Parts: sequence; C-alpha cells; structure tokens
Amino acid sequence: MKYCMWALVLMSMAPNLLAAQNGLDSVQEDPLDRQVLEIAKDLRCAVCQNQPVAESNADLAKDMRKVIREQLQAGKTREQIVDYFVARYGDYVLMKPPADRAGLPLWLAPPLVLAVLAVGGWLFMRRRTRQTATPAPVLSEEDRARVRAARNQQES
Amino acid sequence: MLLSGFGFHLVEFGHLAAYLALVVALIQGLSPLAARLLHRPELTRINFHASIAMFVLTTIGAATLIHAFVTGNYSVQYVASNSNSHLPIFYKVAALWGSHEGSLYLWVWVLTLFTMVVAFHGRRRYPDRLPMVLAVQGLLMVGFFGLILFLSNPFLRLFPVPADGRDLNPLLQDPGMVFHPPMLYLGYVGFSVPFAFAMTALITRWKSEFWIVHIRRWALIAWGFLTTGILLGGWWAYYELGWGGYWAWDPVENASFMPWLVGTALVHSITVQERRRMLHAWNLFLVITAFSLSLLGTFLVRSGVLSSVHAFAVDPGRGAYILAFMVTVLTVSFGIFLARGGFQESEEGMSSVLSRESLFVWNNVIFTVAAACVLLGTLYPLALDALSGGQDKITVGAPYFNAVMVPIFLMVLLLMAVAPMVPWRKANTERLRRRLLVPVSLAVVAGSIMLIAAWPMHWTAPVASALIAFVTGTIAMDYARAVRQRRQQHATETLWRALWRTLSFNRRHWGGMVVHLGIAIIAIGLTGSGVFRQEKAVVMVPGEIVEVGGERLRFDGVRSFVRDNYQAIQGQFTLLNKNVLVLPERRRYPVQDMPTTESGIHSTLWRDVYVVLAEPAAGNGVMKWGVHVYVNPLVQWIWGGGMVILLGLFLTLSMRRRERATSPAAVIAEAR
Repeated sequence: MKYCMWALVLMSMAPNLLAAQNGLDSVQEDPLDRQVLEIAKDLRCAVCQNQPVAESNADLAKDMRKVIREQLQAGKTREQIVDYFVARYGDYVLMKPPADRAGLPLWLAPPLVLAVLAVGGWLFMRRRTRQTATPAPVLSEEDRARVRAARNQQES
Repeated sequence: MLLSGFGFHLVEFGHLAAYLALVVALIQGLSPLAARLLHRPELTRINFHASIAMFVLTTIGAATLIHAFVTGNYSVQYVASNSNSHLPIFYKVAALWGSHEGSLYLWVWVLTLFTMVVAFHGRRRYPDRLPMVLAVQGLLMVGFFGLILFLSNPFLRLFPVPADGRDLNPLLQDPGMVFHPPMLYLGYVGFSVPFAFAMTALITRWKSEFWIVHIRRWALIAWGFLTTGILLGGWWAYYELGWGGYWAWDPVENASFMPWLVGTALVHSITVQERRRMLHAWNLFLVITAFSLSLLGTFLVRSGVLSSVHAFAVDPGRGAYILAFMVTVLTVSFGIFLARGGFQESEEGMSSVLSRESLFVWNNVIFTVAAACVLLGTLYPLALDALSGGQDKITVGAPYFNAVMVPIFLMVLLLMAVAPMVPWRKANTERLRRRLLVPVSLAVVAGSIMLIAAWPMHWTAPVASALIAFVTGTIAMDYARAVRQRRQQHATETLWRALWRTLSFNRRHWGGMVVHLGIAIIAIGLTGSGVFRQEKAVVMVPGEIVEVGGERLRFDGVRSFVRDNYQAIQGQFTLLNKNVLVLPERRRYPVQDMPTTESGIHSTLWRDVYVVLAEPAAGNGVMKWGVHVYVNPLVQWIWGGGMVILLGLFLTLSMRRRERATSPAAVIAEAR
C-alpha cells in the first residue's frame, strides 16, 4: 500500500501535457461536491470527537459522505437526507441540537439565564440606589415659597 | 551489568522528591490547624519555608523527568509512551506535558512556583495571613500530588525496558503545542492565588480592602496567560488541523474558555470594589467560580470524560478521584462562602442606575451568562448521556454555540463602547449624549458601508462592524479628550510627549483601553473570517489553476521527503497573483502511523490563502489530488489583536506605586 502510494506520487510529478494545454482555465468545483459538503457540515461524524462529517478523515465519515452523495444523486432533498441520518443515529448526529426533545433545555436556558441575571442585576442596583438616596428634607411652607420664587425668577 | 534494568536511575530520585513534596504539602496545608489545636501560633511560620521546599522538590522531580526524556530512558513508562529516539530534542523536553500524567505534574509544578512567589510577596506585606494563604495552596497541592503519585504517576518504571519509545502524539509535535499547555496552565493556576486569598479572607474574616489590591494583579496576570494560551491554541488549530478555522467550540476549547469568561468578569468587578467599595461578596463568588472552572477545565480534558462518559469508568480509580476532588473543593469553598460570605458589610450604595459602576454590573451579568451557556453546552450532553444510561445522546456543536454566543459577544461590544464614556457615581445624560454623538455616527456609517459594500450577507457583519467602529470611536475620542486636557495644562509639551504622558500617567485606565482595542481588533478578525470566508474543494491535476475569491492558485505537483520523525508529501502551489509558493503538506509519523496535515498559508493583512492537500485519487492514469482552498479574510487581525491585548496588559501592570495609591482600597492596603 505504502509503495503504491509513492509510485502514484512519482507519476504525478511527471509533466502533464493535458493540463498544461488548458492551464489558463480554472478548475471548477463540482456542484454536487459542494452540496455534499454543505450537508456534511451539519452532521456529526459519529465516531469522532465533536467533528462534523465534512472535516473528518475517519472511514465512517467517508462512508457518510458517500451516502449523502448517492442520496443527492437519487434526487433526495437536504431535509430528507438529514432525516435519514437522524433515523439511523438519533439526534446525536446533528451538530446543532434540535429545539425539541432532549435538546430543548439547551435552547431555553440561555435566554432564561440572561433574563434571571438581568432582573437580578437590575433589582440589586435599584436597591442600592434607594439605600443611598437621602430622603428629601421636609420643607416648611415658608421655604417652599422661597424655592418657588427662586425658580420663577430663573425662568423669567 | 547483570541487573541493568534495575540500576539506580536519576528518575527514582525525582520520584522520592515527589513523595517528599506530598509530605511537605500536607505539613503546609495543616500547619494553621495544628497551630490552633496545640495553641502554638509559631508553628505556622514553617509555611514560608515549606513553600520554598515544595518548589525545590517539585522542580527536582520535573528535572529528573526531563532528564529521562532527553537521555531516552525508556525504562520510565511515561517516557516510553510519549517519546522516541527520533524525536527532536525540543519536543523531548516538551513531551513532559504531552500526556495525562505529565500535564498534571506541570500543573502542580506551576502551582508550587506561584505559591513560592506569593510567599515572598506576602512575607512583609501581610505576614499574619500569609500562612493561611499558603495552607490553602498547600491543600490543593496535596490533592494534586495524591492524584499524581497514586493514580497517574509519571515516575513509574517499566520492565522489560523497551528498545525505543512509542513517540509523542504527532499532532503535538509542533511549536504551537509546546507553548500552548504551559500558558493555559499558568492561567489556570494563576486563579488559584485569588482563590487562596478568598478562602483565607472567609476563614479568618479578613476584610477585602486589605487584599483586593494584591489579587487584582494576580487575576490580571492569570487572565493574560489564559488569553495567550487560548489564542496560541487557536493559532495551532488553524495551521495544524487543516479545516480552515481556528475555533471549533470543542469541549476541550470550552474548558479553557469558561475560566476566561469568569476571569474577565472578575478583573472588571475587582475594579468596582477597589474604586467604589461594592460587590465584595460577588467578587468572592467570582474568584471561587473562576478557580473552580479552571479545575473543571483541567479535569474535563484530563479525565477522559469527554471522549466518552464511559471512558471515565475504564479507569475507575482516576475518574472517581478526580470527581471526588472536584466535589470536595466545590463543596468546601462554596460552603465556606455561604456561611461566611456576608461578613463584608461596609458596602457603599450606588448613586445612580446609570454610572460606570452600574455598567460594570451589566458587564458581569453578560459574562456570567456567557460562561453559564458554555458550561451548559459543554456539560449537558455528558449529563444526558450519563443519566439516561447511554439512551439519549445529543451533540452540541459549533452551530449551537455560534447561535448563542454571537449575540452575547455583540452585547459585550456594545457595553465596551458605552462604558468608558460613563463617569463613576452618576452620569450626566446630556453630556453623555454629546460625548456619544461622534462614535455613534461612526458606527452608523461603518454599518451602512458594510451593508452596501457586501450585500447580501449574514446579519452579524453590519452589526458587528458598526459596534467595532463604535468601540474604537469611543476609545479614540476618550484619548483625544485626555490629550487635549493635558496640553491645556502643560502648554510647553510637544504633541508626542503629551500623547505618551497621557498614557503613562494613568496606565491603569489606558492599559485597559488598549486591551479593549485589542478585543475590537480580534472582533474584526472574527467577523471577517467568520462571515466572509470563501472555500472550494476541488480535484486537481498538476498544471491546473483554481480560483477562489479572486486568488489564482496553480498546482505544480507534489514532492516527497523524509525527516527524522516523519515522512511528508508536499504539494507545490503557486499563488499566481502574488507569485509566491504555497506549500501544504501531508505527513505521516511512522512510529504511531498517524497522518497529519500542515496547511499551506499565504498571509497578508487582508486575507489568508489557506491550502490543504487532501487525498490523492487516481483517474485515467493521471495522479489527481483533492485540494481544499480557503480564502479567510482578516484572520491575521486575531493574532495581532492578541498582541495588542498583551501590550495593554503590560501597560496596566506597569502601573506605578504612586498611581496605585490613588484608589481607596490601595490606600488602606499601603497604610498598613
């Protein structure tokens, strides 16, 4: 296997006339490849540590990419293919946990925690500001009249 | 000769030193208790010397292990599993922390180092509390040495002695990996110092005015190391793992990110306590949480619980010990906190709901939420798996964390933009509005330009660019105002001198602003590479050209070569529009028979062309190669922003004594 590999490597280093002729045109990405990769990005390679199928070199990931390709060729949609894998491996295969079933707490918790802490922080600050605000002194009728007069003077 | 396998080796000396260290750590940890029970307070004096002895003994152990690695002593099991005679010497030394046993040893080694530094720092400044601080550190050391010596011992010997070692994990044979773990550990362990202070304060009813100044520096230093470690990890992942990204929200990454988030909250809220004598109890909580998450991070990565909940049970002793240690530390520290946390009663009230201190509270709210979300996302799948007995399994991958954390980060940016403009105590709304006018206009302009220039795109791009402009705008305005003020007072100064003096006379504030600037720069990099990445996966024959995002790349074929520790196939690519070579590699490390990739990267300030040589495929007698090309805009800004952050941190830490004495807490601390 190893020698085979090196032989291939040597062959590839030989100048390639065919390629040189149309060397100015750029290679295009196979649209099917792209579709496979886009779907494989959201699926977890079941034997890897937290790695999507698109990025894994594990044999299982290669097989899964092959299955995706075959199903795309058979005319299945993205949803159908994802559902197919979920049916086989469970929610485990989705890189993004579902918003129902076991994944629900994950989606509820962040806004909930934010709300609780925000309210907590707000109440804490309200309490603290009330504590320091010295109560307004009780003014006599005479003083109040003075304040009113001063205000009127400023405004006019 | 006859008993060569049993000959005395230096490493046994190190093993003995480690056992002695465990005994000394016990003495150090228990001396305050002994002093109290025996009514002999002078007993605690031993702790200062014990902390030095701990460092010396642990260093001896580490030195003998490194010696075993360098001399290739494969009778040591850990060396045999993680080294090889072909390994370059640089990696032989670094292999010390290449695996489980050694990295725990590194952890405790750093812990003894920091403890000794605290001992020298506190000998004159807080001699009455120092023994207790050292005792808390000592007990942590006991916990770690117990784990190291009884359950994951790097000094264990092997018989018969293998002829050669099984080599270091190839992925770790990289300079990035050599510095990444020590940096992280310096950060993790750095949080143990504030933790020891907090515990001491709670146990001995030590008012936080007296110690908050000391732990602020430790928290900043720990935060700096953690930041460096995380960025180094991202950098390493970027060029080594070959998937075009730098952060995958992997549990191992999250493990280091959680203490970072809480640490960030902490360095901010310490400032509030120092300046305004508030949030005492909350700071204690954050200190304990930051350290607990550091422990959790170490153990998540080191216990094998992540690869599978059930791997935990493969080595039941180690898993159970780690769990028990965590539970003990958490229960004891939070127990003491709940029992005693209320003793800090001299809280000052808040003058207004809109003030610098209130915005610091919001900062803490957001960072705590962020940490809680990462914690949940990391632990929930483990808990679900364990509780349902393997029935229910889910994956929490990058799409989840991106969806949850990106909005949180945008809130952080918003806060970062507004807060430095809001004064302490009470903000004058009218003046605030005037001050924010220019930065907000900048933000609107930046957001609109982004919308028009790059339409259509993900919604985060215009929002993020507006907020980044807002942040840099406020920092620039703030600085400009300070410089103008200084020039009015010192009319004779040249502009350059005024620019420098402004920074240098309030290093604490401007250091913080430089760190903020670094974060904004990182945000530019994250937005650019996160939203505008372009990629192509193609199959190429030598001579062909691929075009991605305006970059034209020609495949010129491959060559192969052999190095001491690996064989490589190197793809030769020419980036036509720059006329430079890009050389991605596929390597095979024969000892472990493991393939790895080295990405070929051409970087400029504006974009990286990132090339990965994928698998060969033979077709029609011609060798074809799978090639992945990514054009990642602005990635270099992330690493550059990291440098700016460190610069700001040095500026803050270089604060002068005179300046330090301006905060109320510092005055009290210095007056003693």
